[in-house]
Amino acid sequence: MNIIETSNLTKSYAGFFAVTELCLHIPKGKVYGFLGPNGAGKSTVMKMLLGLTRPTKGSFVIDGKRYPESRIEILKEIGSFIEAPSFYGNLTGKENLEIVQSILGLPASAVDEAMELTGITQYKDRPARKYSLGMKQRLGLASALLGRPPVLILDEPTNGLDPVGIHEIRTLVRSLPQKFDCTVLVSSHLLSEIELMADNIGILNHGHLLFEGTLNELRQMAALRGYPYDNLEDTFLAIINDDNMQRSGIK
Amino acid sequence: MNFRSECRKIKRTGFLPAFIAGGFLAGAVPVLNMLFRSANYIKPDVNPVEVLFMANWQTMALLNILLVLEGACILYHTEYTDNAMQRMRTLPFNESGLFINKFLLVLMMCTILVAIEAAAIGFCCEHWFGGTVIHGAAGYMHICIEILESLGYSLLLVLPAALLSLFIASICKNMWVSLGIGVLCIFTATMLPADNFVLSLFPFAMPFQILAGTAPDTVYNFITACIAEIIIILLAEMLFLKARRSFE
Repeated sequence: MNIIETSNLTKSYAGFFAVTELCLHIPKGKVYGFLGPNGAGKSTVMKMLLGLTRPTKGSFVIDGKRYPESRIEILKEIGSFIEAPSFYGNLTGKENLEIVQSILGLPASAVDEAMELTGITQYKDRPARKYSLGMKQRLGLASALLGRPPVLILDEPTNGLDPVGIHEIRTLVRSLPQKFDCTVLVSSHLLSEIELMADNIGILNHGHLLFEGTLNELRQMAALRGYPYDNLEDTFLAIINDDNMQRSGIK
Repeated sequence: MNFRSECRKIKRTGFLPAFIAGGFLAGAVPVLNMLFRSANYIKPDVNPVEVLFMANWQTMALLNILLVLEGACILYHTEYTDNAMQRMRTLPFNESGLFINKFLLVLMMCTILVAIEAAAIGFCCEHWFGGTVIHGAAGYMHICIEILESLGYSLLLVLPAALLSLFIASICKNMWVSLGIGVLCIFTATMLPADNFVLSLFPFAMPFQILAGTAPDTVYNFITACIAEIIIILLAEMLFLKARRSFE
């Protein structure tokens, strides 16, 4: 069963198509890796799913609720972290989370749980403006995890983290479907990153979905089309290069 | 979005101290004026409230509008500076609620501001006019009612400016842009002739109006215009929020 489905989702800005007729199928209870080079349209898709930007065409359904009719209902089910950490710099980490907690009407214990999960408990009383980039990233994640939402949308959540932090967050994301019974849509431009986290992947380039399926299906597709398939990073690069060449008419 | 959350967000922004200090500064205007120039104002059969308002309100109103503008800029600066607004927009509430709650917060601060100013004017009445112009408990009661009516009227007339400041601040992600636009609006308002009714309806010009000595018809017209402006600015903000989602 798919918890997120988009149909012909399109976003254009003055003639430039950031996303073109995208049809995503994200199964419930899985980690879905959203891959693509910079500027492929990953963040735009995520912003559309969160209602931050209105699709030019198409629609989507999240947990049986259709956008735009049920925008607020959809947002009640999503925890999100988009592009860069968003926080009130004048407030401490804990106060930032308390704002979200009070808006979502969650118990106070939800804040402690989210801080514990993301490892910011010892920095909770420090103003968020004084956090390092990695700490801000963790604060953003903690905010997304508040209240154990059934759907998590994470846009490059490991940006700015050190290798230990990357490992911790990766392990956390990987464990979320089992721990909280949630579905995670996580984006990255690194296949190696997604490979270790995701059950399913979608590859996006220039706003077009080039592949959707499991990692095994990706290997099979690569073998069929003559792409390298021993190393998934090479497979990803070959798919993107091939698509780029087709678009520029070089092939 | 609830009002309590909005109040929490202003921690360490200087919003509250700015309004309190600004209130005392505005309150100091009539006190200092009377301290140094009381001979110009104390005459046997004058209305103390009217005299005090005529002599000081332009300066006090200017301080009030500047505070309201600064407050509006601070409120939205905290939303935009570290991108908190984006997180807020992904939470399940109507974005217009954020604006309304910020407006309620500014309204609350304006009430505190006006209360401090009422205390200052009350003090001036008692200290300089008590016994000579104001006589007996009935006289004091009458003066108190007059002060409250005047400042209630002033509080109402400052609301369109507060809303417009918030509207500008909500549009501009850079605080200095909204502050600059607001300051330009205020200076434009100070240059408008106060006796021209139509020009006085400019939201930043309205707070300069005073109740004492104004004809009841004019007061009624200002109140009606003020309510109309409040509704128009609120509608404009709703439209802006809808349009922004389409263009982003």
